[in-house]
Amino acid sequence: MRKGLTILVGVTTVAFAIASAEAKSQLRVVVGYYSAATQGIFEGMAKDFNAANPDADIKVEVVEWDNLQQRLTTDIAGGTAPDIAMIGTRWLVDFVKNDIAEPLDSYITPDVKARFMENFMAPSTINGKLYGLPVAASARAMYYNKDLLARAGIKDPPENWDTLVADAKKIKALGSDIYGFALQGKEIETDAYWYYSLWTHGGELIEGGKSGVASAGAIEALALYRSLIDQGLTEPDPTGYNRQDIERLFKQGRIGMILTGPWLRGQMKTDAPDLSYGIAPIPAGSTKATYGVTDDLMVFKSSQQKKLAWRFLTEAAFAPKWRIEFTTKEGFLPVTKVEAEQPQFVNDPQLKAFTEMLPYAHFAPPVPNWEQMADATIRALQKVYTGEAKPDAALKEAASSIDSILQQQ
Amino acid sequence: MHGSAVRLGMTSSVKFTRRAVPYLLVLPSVILALWIIGYPILDVANMSLHAVNRFGQFKGFAGFDNFSHLVKEPLFSGCLFRTLLWTVSVVGGTVVLSMPIALILNENFGGRRIARIIIMLPWAVSLTMSGIVWRWALDGQSGMFNATLFSFGIIHQPIAWLATAGTAFPVEIAIGILVSIPFSVTVYLGGLSSFPEEIFEAAKIDGASAWQQWRYLTLPLLRPFINIVLVLNTIYVFNSFPLIWVMTQGDPANSTDIFVTWLYKLAFRYGKLDVAAALSLVMFLILLSFTIVYSALAMREDKEAAESPDASAPARAGT
Repeated sequence: MRKGLTILVGVTTVAFAIASAEAKSQLRVVVGYYSAATQGIFEGMAKDFNAANPDADIKVEVVEWDNLQQRLTTDIAGGTAPDIAMIGTRWLVDFVKNDIAEPLDSYITPDVKARFMENFMAPSTINGKLYGLPVAASARAMYYNKDLLARAGIKDPPENWDTLVADAKKIKALGSDIYGFALQGKEIETDAYWYYSLWTHGGELIEGGKSGVASAGAIEALALYRSLIDQGLTEPDPTGYNRQDIERLFKQGRIGMILTGPWLRGQMKTDAPDLSYGIAPIPAGSTKATYGVTDDLMVFKSSQQKKLAWRFLTEAAFAPKWRIEFTTKEGFLPVTKVEAEQPQFVNDPQLKAFTEMLPYAHFAPPVPNWEQMADATIRALQKVYTGEAKPDAALKEAASSIDSILQQQ
Repeated sequence: MHGSAVRLGMTSSVKFTRRAVPYLLVLPSVILALWIIGYPILDVANMSLHAVNRFGQFKGFAGFDNFSHLVKEPLFSGCLFRTLLWTVSVVGGTVVLSMPIALILNENFGGRRIARIIIMLPWAVSLTMSGIVWRWALDGQSGMFNATLFSFGIIHQPIAWLATAGTAFPVEIAIGILVSIPFSVTVYLGGLSSFPEEIFEAAKIDGASAWQQWRYLTLPLLRPFINIVLVLNTIYVFNSFPLIWVMTQGDPANSTDIFVTWLYKLAFRYGKLDVAAALSLVMFLILLSFTIVYSALAMREDKEAAESPDASAPARAGT
């Protein structure tokens, strides 16, 4: 009986879907899941747009970020790509190389362009053409546990790596299960955790078409992390800890300083409301740096509704009302000027720590097969963190495998 | 004359129909099996001979380029070695450890049913779930495993089991054995319960010790069941993805990567669908040749055993 009913419902749904698809021009939008708020925000945009355009039918689908890339890949392979998708900006290179993303230069007006902060448009521009609009932006900074620093007699958070080492020693002395500095050693963004050190030591990921992970600055950057492990200033065996693991230690009040993104602010409110923490820039080496990451909304070349898609982007997704709603609820940095002017962003001292770092932001280099290069780097880092190899040997091996990946293209 | 010819024609057509019926009956399943098994293999084989981009679009014939590319990958030999080590250790451990468990569970004792259920329970839990539970249990900071060792005074410093190459892979092999035991015990128990009581009684009367009963009666009788456990476990374990993926994703520094986890990275993380297809084909051929060689060996043994009662007769007479 129940089965029969389900089939009946299924058949009717399909029938209705076919009927409505004939009457309206449907637009499929796939977005990544940031938080429980994501679905509501994009449904809201769709509702607004559908109300203003009765002949349009926007279908929003929210997909977990972990599965998003694979999901889009299979959709593209199967010829069922959506019209608009949210993507990590660094995936764009592969999309452009395979002629899957629609260039947006012929659609964009100076007026729309002027809405955005310029430095966030740069990563979406490939070979002089714009392929995506930045929807979310984050930079990384250093969170520090105010209580631990005070107990260790430290007044201000460290501004450079030398002070960080000295401060971490003082924090370590507080107890055997308290660690001065968190070091991420496994899974997604293990490489990024080291890039902070690499960039502040004057290194670059790619220099003149070759890998820069074995440069003098890079070796110095990794030697610094290794010395932190040797002196017991990080949690033991960092290769056992992914990003969530070290963030959890920080929430438990057992980590003095940790480098991470703005999302931790939101988590602290619910997971560790009593922990008093501050946010400061990433410690400087020979220079200042942070990791800038953007996500984009892009239009597929295969879409039959490109004009409608563009109108949805400019009239709903990037309308000031929804931009402010999105950035406030998801906790990212403002990407359009109107957001940045909102009092809740201007008056937020914690957010200021992130936005002040933006002029020093480095983005992932726009090269294809980036994930494979990142994994080669992670392999080298893990060899050093476990003591299996010395920094220069491990990094030279990584650089040569990255070079051969670069040559394959 | 005329009539008998008709009768003759009828009988031969009946004969033909009789002979054809079984084939006609299995034909649908054969077609289905060919479609389900054959089509993907052909598709993967086709993909492995072409240059394919990360979106599955074919970019021209590549000959054996993908295979030579695969073999040249620095991770290939390491992954091959670990895949073999993983398969041999887990299957070997399972085949050996399941035996005493099955023998005990075959005995009559109070609470045997409950004991059987407890042994079978891990089977009901998905491998992913077991992996997650063990990942937590083996955590260096807050894992139950360390806590237990602590309270028994076995260790005095927490060990991050999954963080170093030296411990992560052996621990994963041990867990692989643990989750393979229920299936193997079930197969063994099925075999044990099918043996006639009489031969054991006769052996007992003849004064055979427990060891002799096991060595000369149970083990030879269990032979076909051991073969099943060995072949099926080899196929499952060789291709087993969830445990390693959930616990370490091949980390640290690829020291726990086996073919199937590397395959996933190649296909879905690096977008090298063509090289991944070549690797799948290599994996398929390894398993296929193992199964064929092993089945052939097992069959030959059976045949020899069946042909040699005369050879063993004098020996029996001599005792």
